[in-house]
Amino acid sequence: MLDVAPTALGHRLDMDGVRVRYGQTLAVRDVTLSVAPGEILALLGPSGCGKTTLLRTVAGFIQAEAGRVLVDGAPIDRLPPGKRGVGIVFQSYALFPHMTAAQNVAYGLEARGLPKAEIIRKVEAALAAVRMEGFAARKPTALSGGQQQRVALARALAIEPAILLLDEPFAALDRSLRLDLQLEIKRIQRRFGVTCVLVTHDQDEAMSMADRMAVMRAGHVEQVGPPTELYDTPATAFVAGFVGTTNRLHGRVEARDGMGYAVRLDAGATVMVESPRGFAIGDRVMLCARPEQLTLRAAENEDPATFPARLRLSLPLGPALIHDLEAGSAEVKIQQPRQGTPPPPGPVRIAILPGAKPSLFPEGDSA
Amino acid sequence: MSLIQRRGLLAAGLALPALGARAQATQMTAAVYPGGWDEALRAVLAPRLLQQHNVTVAFDPLFAVDQIAKARAARGTPPFDVFVLDPGPRVSGMDLGLFETFDPARLPSRGVLPAGYADNVGAAVAAQVVGIAYNPQKVPKPAGWRDLFRPEYASKLGLTGFGTTFGTISLIEMAKALGGSETNMDPLFAELRRIRPSVAAVAQPAAMPGLFQQGQIDVMYTNTYTVTLLRSRGVPIAFAVPESGAAAFVTTMHIAKNSRNIAAAYQYIDAMISTPVQTALSLDPYFFVPVNKEVTPGADVPMRSISEITNFVTHDWTRINPLRAGWISRFNREMAG
Amino acid sequence: MNGPGVWRLALPLGLAQLMFFAAPLLILLGTSLATDEHLREGSLRAWREVLGDSFHIQSVVNTLRLGALTVLATLLLAVPLALVHMAAGPRLKRAILIAAVLPLLTSVVVRTFSWIVILGREGVINSTLIATGLSATPVALLQTEPGLILALTQIEMPLMLLPLIAATARIDPSLLDASTSLGASLARTLSRVVLPLALPGLIAGSTLVFASAATAFISQSVIGGGRLNYLPALVWQQAMVVFDWPLAAAMALTLMGSVLMVVGALNLLGRGARHA
Ligand SMILES: Nc1ncnc2c1ncn2[C@@H]1O[C@H](COP(=O)(O)OP(=O)(O)OP(=O)(O)O)[C@@H](O)[C@H]1O
Ligand SMILES: [Mg+2]
Repeated sequence: MLDVAPTALGHRLDMDGVRVRYGQTLAVRDVTLSVAPGEILALLGPSGCGKTTLLRTVAGFIQAEAGRVLVDGAPIDRLPPGKRGVGIVFQSYALFPHMTAAQNVAYGLEARGLPKAEIIRKVEAALAAVRMEGFAARKPTALSGGQQQRVALARALAIEPAILLLDEPFAALDRSLRLDLQLEIKRIQRRFGVTCVLVTHDQDEAMSMADRMAVMRAGHVEQVGPPTELYDTPATAFVAGFVGTTNRLHGRVEARDGMGYAVRLDAGATVMVESPRGFAIGDRVMLCARPEQLTLRAAENEDPATFPARLRLSLPLGPALIHDLEAGSAEVKIQQPRQGTPPPPGPVRIAILPGAKPSLFPEGDSA
Repeated sequence: MSLIQRRGLLAAGLALPALGARAQATQMTAAVYPGGWDEALRAVLAPRLLQQHNVTVAFDPLFAVDQIAKARAARGTPPFDVFVLDPGPRVSGMDLGLFETFDPARLPSRGVLPAGYADNVGAAVAAQVVGIAYNPQKVPKPAGWRDLFRPEYASKLGLTGFGTTFGTISLIEMAKALGGSETNMDPLFAELRRIRPSVAAVAQPAAMPGLFQQGQIDVMYTNTYTVTLLRSRGVPIAFAVPESGAAAFVTTMHIAKNSRNIAAAYQYIDAMISTPVQTALSLDPYFFVPVNKEVTPGADVPMRSISEITNFVTHDWTRINPLRAGWISRFNREMAG
Repeated sequence: MNGPGVWRLALPLGLAQLMFFAAPLLILLGTSLATDEHLREGSLRAWREVLGDSFHIQSVVNTLRLGALTVLATLLLAVPLALVHMAAGPRLKRAILIAAVLPLLTSVVVRTFSWIVILGREGVINSTLIATGLSATPVALLQTEPGLILALTQIEMPLMLLPLIAATARIDPSLLDASTSLGASLARTLSRVVLPLALPGLIAGSTLVFASAATAFISQSVIGGGRLNYLPALVWQQAMVVFDWPLAAAMALTLMGSVLMVVGALNLLGRGARHA
């Protein structure tokens, strides 16, 4: 498969009600997730939320207490790790330190008892795929972090897995190298059409690499969807906070008109927000607005949809300008295109940008 | 405590003279066999020496051969003031010139020793009676040395070589019983070779009591001291005097060449042979065989006084010593396999 | 740290080695080439007696074989235990480590004498064999080579186990996961990943056990007894009982030389394995 044109169809992975327990702690709570053939799914979530545990359950290192894992509709729960058609790239690379790059890549092929000539051919192809042909005879200690990562990837791909699992594959690399490898992995993944589950801490990484993201929290999946969907319409305040930056503004529902609500913010403004969730008049709510959904107004502005704040600092960030503000007890960040000179620090007012759609959640829903 | 205060207290007649005196006590060092001898001399001899002569003694626990080796290695600066040795090492020490000339007249208690027990080399301080020890619950009492080579004894016998005094004289007695002599071991080695595959153990002398206690061996050659000691610990063991007679030898003390505490060394040896010390040492838990004519030996010792030692078999170590090295390596070879 | 003066840091230890190791060794060599310990006259008698005598050669062979067999026996027991340690949870890990170190807290003499109690004719093993009807008469264990190896295996076990566990504990557990997920059987994982990575520990342990068992004077003489001849007891006997210091010195040097040769070979093996 490596040296043949990529097959169009990868394999489908399903997790169905997977529950994993370590002694007393429930590390994964009834997770149901599907990964389409050839898709990259990113598992995102705070430390300890169960990402690695879920991945290791799919790989077969951990036995689930309940639920099933299926590849192309067939359960693989009873299969040992080596027979699941699952390749895995570890955060620490886990290259065998006493073997050369080529021996590392050959390891899984030898375990499968392939003929020697075929092994040599496949090792060469796999190393070429990750652009490591020239390093075949090097031991891992003589390779840089990024090179080790590539060898680890070649080793996992050489056995032609149906599913490729990557546990924080870039965590040990510096930022610039990360971006290169992210692109590279995406390219290789596309070429081989291999179905991928990528665990990461880093939302930017998830956004740039994944077709879909699953945000996990305390062992369960909070929301699954394409990155833009999670960003634009987070299902919970937790997702809103975890994916991208958000400003949390507290308030109370004053009036309702279908899906539109008039919310009286504690900071002093009354704003109109749309929400698919149902709230009653008088409910305490939390408005989550992205920095680019807010804008600055002059301090003299008397529009009741604006609230007073104090501008503390403005920082240019590439083509944008980031304003750091204080509104009562809340901290607010606003991002605007950089035009002209930034306003001086001091009293200003904040408004929701016309057309922007901030999210509304019940108060107390946040993490 | 300042000197002035101490004077004041002394003047007040408090119980401090002993403390004051101890501060000026003579210090000396004596070699002592590890184990029983060490315990006994620390408990009985050392306090008496301090009390009588104001001498404190530090003990250096060493086997006889180790004492000789250590004194030899020290080349003229003795590591201790007094040796305690068995006849074999005693002759080695004499040959090597490791001892000061001994003057028995400097022992006030010399009268308690049998004639000849203190000479210009040293003084006898304890006797040892060597014979056969057996487990009366397992084997009948052996009549003599020859019995040890009969299958019923040989298969339960523990052999030890010429490395120790008691081992050497026991093997010599066996050689004599088998037709050899004090200098001819050939008949002994022939018999040893014959029984070698069946003997229960061939071991270091120090391991013998343990092997007996564990039931690995039920017959061995040893001294009355070991028999009494093991019996006091509940081991079923009895001493048999061979028909040819038990062998006896004395353990002697010697003053090391160039010792700087010669006066204290004489006091130490004198206290060792004194009636109170010899009496205490002959009792439970020490079981020494006294050399003091006034002290009665313990029940296991087949004599009522040291004067009877003339009835026992004794050996000429000046003839034995030159041959011993050869016997030792021959024993190694004959027993190997 | 690569400055020209760095060697000076090794000076104190170097001098100490010179004084307490090299100098006595030279004296030993001189003694072995003399007629007596006063080194007044030279003679090759001692060396002729050691190297030209089949009894002494046999003793050298016995000593080396004892070391080798003890290494083999400790390996056989320590390797599975180290693997269990690797797979164990933290509590079992601690228990294994304590069990490995515990024997070191009792003296060799005590351990040696306890083996008399175990191996003796009326000892624990024979009582069990007879009570269970497995044997009608006591089996000879004490004062036999197998009995001695059994005892030395227990006595020297920590020296094998500790370096081995130190080596296996350094193996990243994800390497084992990687191996299994690549389709390797347990046997392949052990032979291709665990064993090569544990090799430095194995060699260190083998070296320590070999050197220690070959020179275990107390255990050899107390458990082995007088019918088994090993160099350490012969050295002691020549030096302390017979007072033939040249012969003792020649034997001691022979013992040291042959043990060093084996240890050196083991080290070469280790270096070779690391470069393979
Ligand atoms: N071997 C284990 N025994 C007991 N509890 C464990 C074990 N491994 C993980 N846990 C617990 O299970 C939960 C999930 O752990 P997991 O390693 O899956 O988190 P994670 O999302 O991968 O975190 P991180 O981002 O820090 O890697 C955590 O609470 C963790 O403490
Ligand atoms: Mg993790």
